[in-house]
Amino acid sequence: MTEHRAGATAPTALPRLVGARVARREDGRFLTGQGSYVDDHRPARLLYAAFLRSPHAHARVVSIAASAALTLPGVAAVLTGEDVARSAKPVRAASKTPAVKVTSFPPLALGKVRHVGEAVVMVAAESRYVAEDAVERILVEYEPIPVVTDMEQALRPESPLLHDEAGTNLLVSREFGRGDVDEALAGAALVVRERFRFHRHTPVCMENRGCLAEYATGSGTLTLRSSAQCPGLVRDVLSDLLDMPEHRIRVIAADVGGGFGAKASLYPEEIATCVMARRLGRPVKWIGDRREDLLATTHAWDEIVEAELGVDRDGAIVGLRAQVTADVGAYSIYPWTAAIEPVQTISFLPGPYRVPTYRGRTRGVATCKAPLGPYRGVGRPPAVFVIEGLMDRAARQLGMDPTEIRLRNFVRDEEFPYKSPSGIVWDRASFTASLLRACEALDYAAVRAEQSRARAEGRWLGVGVASYVELTGIGSAIPVSPGMPIATGTEAATIRFDPAGKVTAVFGIASHGQGLETTLAQIVADEVGVPIDDVRVIHGDTEVSPYGTGTYASRSLVLAGGAAILAGRAVREKMLVIAGHLLEADPADVVMTDGRWAVRGMLDRSVAVREIARAAYTGARRLPTGLEPGLEATRFYDPYYGTASNATHVAVVEVDRETCEVKPLRYVVVEDCGRMVNPLIVDGQVHGGVAQGLGAALLEEVVYDDQGQLLSGTLMDYVVPSACEVPWMEVHHLETPSPVALGGFRGMGEGGTIGAPAAIANAVADALVPLGIEIAELPVTPDRLFRLIERARARG
Amino acid sequence: MKPPKFEYHAPKSLEEALEALGRYGGDAKVLAGGQSLMPLLNFRLARPTALVDLNRIGSLAYIREHNGQIRFGAMTRQRTIEFSPVVAQRLPLLKEATHWVGHLPIRTRGTIGGSIAHADPSAEYPAVLAALEGEVVARGARGERVIRAGDLFQTYLTTSLAPDEILTEVRLPVMPAGAGYALEEFARRHGDFAIIGIAAVVVREGPRCTMARLATAGAGPVPVRLRAAEQILEREGLGEAAIEAAARRATELVTPDADIHASADYRRHLTGVLTKRALTRAIGVARG
Repeated sequence: MTEHRAGATAPTALPRLVGARVARREDGRFLTGQGSYVDDHRPARLLYAAFLRSPHAHARVVSIAASAALTLPGVAAVLTGEDVARSAKPVRAASKTPAVKVTSFPPLALGKVRHVGEAVVMVAAESRYVAEDAVERILVEYEPIPVVTDMEQALRPESPLLHDEAGTNLLVSREFGRGDVDEALAGAALVVRERFRFHRHTPVCMENRGCLAEYATGSGTLTLRSSAQCPGLVRDVLSDLLDMPEHRIRVIAADVGGGFGAKASLYPEEIATCVMARRLGRPVKWIGDRREDLLATTHAWDEIVEAELGVDRDGAIVGLRAQVTADVGAYSIYPWTAAIEPVQTISFLPGPYRVPTYRGRTRGVATCKAPLGPYRGVGRPPAVFVIEGLMDRAARQLGMDPTEIRLRNFVRDEEFPYKSPSGIVWDRASFTASLLRACEALDYAAVRAEQSRARAEGRWLGVGVASYVELTGIGSAIPVSPGMPIATGTEAATIRFDPAGKVTAVFGIASHGQGLETTLAQIVADEVGVPIDDVRVIHGDTEVSPYGTGTYASRSLVLAGGAAILAGRAVREKMLVIAGHLLEADPADVVMTDGRWAVRGMLDRSVAVREIARAAYTGARRLPTGLEPGLEATRFYDPYYGTASNATHVAVVEVDRETCEVKPLRYVVVEDCGRMVNPLIVDGQVHGGVAQGLGAALLEEVVYDDQGQLLSGTLMDYVVPSACEVPWMEVHHLETPSPVALGGFRGMGEGGTIGAPAAIANAVADALVPLGIEIAELPVTPDRLFRLIERARARG
Repeated sequence: MKPPKFEYHAPKSLEEALEALGRYGGDAKVLAGGQSLMPLLNFRLARPTALVDLNRIGSLAYIREHNGQIRFGAMTRQRTIEFSPVVAQRLPLLKEATHWVGHLPIRTRGTIGGSIAHADPSAEYPAVLAALEGEVVARGARGERVIRAGDLFQTYLTTSLAPDEILTEVRLPVMPAGAGYALEEFARRHGDFAIIGIAAVVVREGPRCTMARLATAGAGPVPVRLRAAEQILEREGLGEAAIEAAARRATELVTPDADIHASADYRRHLTGVLTKRALTRAIGVARG
């Protein structure tokens, strides 16, 4: 296990880069408009695609008449669902568990449409303008069928059925448990219950989805550029769907303007674009516009959670019982399936607490809406909203401080590794320390005193605490999504010196804003003992990288960083051998100093990195007998279980008594992602995550009417926060190195979004204690708050 | 989101513009700053045969003081108004309202004529036009006419301008010296259209109120002048009880619609809250 020792130090005298606030190297490119996004590529003979999308939420497709489109000058081809079905297998997100019903997701509608915005026909033309004109000329005859948009109504036997093959709208059904929760709750001193509603959201990446497919008829190779998080995963599935060997498919996700999980799935447009390009032998590009993004990129979190928490007289948890119902929309997405959101929610519901008895049931229900998919936090933003809301309710009823009830119930430091009631193992975390540090950073007592003064003046000031734990850097022991058909437990790194002593490091992950070109370069540079400027990181291109899937589930720093450590060590060992040979010394006596490799105690006997690299490629003449020439290594890393990452968020808000607006006044985060590679980037991830969590809590909501028409179809209607709405954040770090992950790293890209909705909801409820209002529905918009307050006042 | 084909005219004079507009018999649209029309075109919600772009008509951008009015060429950018000393001095309400219009890039392109002709009832400039009892000048083939604020706005995005007319000038009476003013607005996000906005002007003589003006944004299909609420102040003065009464009356004078951001009840409630806030602040800065 020495290999897995946390924080192992490389023998280098260069300034250690891991742990330093290194400015992001990719930003110069982004800020000067030199990024390489899909839409920056315009190969010769390019065609532009547009999709005809369903105006109906549920309808049979009776006929498609495209002749008027085909005669429009500049139109190259029209593709229907039946055309695609002739050249590509249907997408079926298979599952190894019977808890998930397997259903088809055709790239273009086959027979019927199941949500507004579903792609029905694809047009390729000489310009996007012509393509959109052509789309208008296509006549699709629909026969509307009854629509179901309410997840609970969709479960009724008389409800319209979305997928005949499933025979039910209940696509996911699962239960986790430990102990006899019914007995525990029956004997509890206090049981608090609530029906929580976490409404539908969508990530809104700055760069919309888009892709560009080129099929080289001569070599029979397909190249897909896609604004995607998982080029490896897309390559693998395209190979199957298009019946082409993997080594003839290249998927490139170069620069990607945000993903947040929504670009981690396979999308219909990617398949249709490949089919069109292969058919025509011409490059075809589709760039989604914002309307398409809001209509047809996966949505998130749409759940009802009915939960009960039992505590004893001292506030110690005796049991937790919950039922999650998730509106998974019209389709089960590949590869995560419809299970990813609802199952994650019950998996993480017990939070960082000792929960002796637990039963979590979960249901994923199909409705006539865009499919539900992963979004920053996946299941955990609603789960934390629920458990932290219940903790506050229990504390209020027992007359305890919300911090006190948490401290009483946290898994204690001496209990790690701790197996949660849903079976997740927390390797080690800092629940207690993070809460205490947050209280200290906030000056909790002073804020409570200020709250008392404010209340005396009739102002509604509130403090909300949320502590959470998440599982990151998941290896091969458990699937990222339950029952999913693919393996996601490994990533690899190739580290290669060229003869001039510069390093190229190639990864299968695909950075889409996380700064991985910087953090991975920091790790590589430390491992092989070169300045960071001598390391170039390449990622997001299946043609040049070792096998990998991509970037999702807070895994890349843990998995790719671990692989970089392993590959770096292998290269470094060879460098020591070569240096020893060149210096006529025992490799064990070679040390790194001032950018040169020298003999210990005789620093004038040294060689430069460049000389070692040149010798490696010169061949046997300059190498020890039997040593293979070359200086590169590829190593794979599988962290097996994965590692916990935790934080405490505290929000202070004021609710305007008249407008019912929630104003965040302070926001404190104490997070623990183990050993930090780059605190600057960790801070940035927290800032962005909290901003999205705040949007989820206060502003953002995907709204459909009862006929399944999307009412939040523009960014005037789907309200994401701007810089003006995001409060200053005070971010503090604890560093509990992971005992199980190489380097001691833990993933942290999602955490901000996991903690923020709960912290803000709890702060609002705390502010409204004088009115006895609980917050059970997010986002808590001014209009919702107005109605809650009116009702409370009517009650007196 | 690409517009369907349209013909495009970029005339250098108003006469050419009117001539081009007349040629399409109502099937052409006038392009000013483009901050509303371009999205409508891209969504294919507006499908004019032609666009007549006013951006090259330099003579349509000016701010002049004339006969107790400040006159704005229709193509005067919001950003110019925001920093105009004449506006700051003579029409401080308009200056304040301009701060609420979108964001810097929007105000840099957006024009006063475009904003008013577009007639979005949630926008700030129509509310200011209503509160100050301004008027606009329309030019058409048959000549020029002046339309008063009260006669201009018909319903959502609809004015009494004829299809072959171009709004050429906006006229706002100079605010009385010492008049108190305020624009209070509530939006869910900085720079968004108002859920409710209230423009207020008060002229006081000691405790008496000689003139009160209140107009809404976002409280119905057109900006609403809250005349009955104004009368309470003109009758009862500017004390707290009168402000409360006016605010209460304001909620009865509006019939707001519901949308996904706010119910009608909440908008009505906000009308009262913001009327009170606007009046309180306006009275605070009023001299006399």
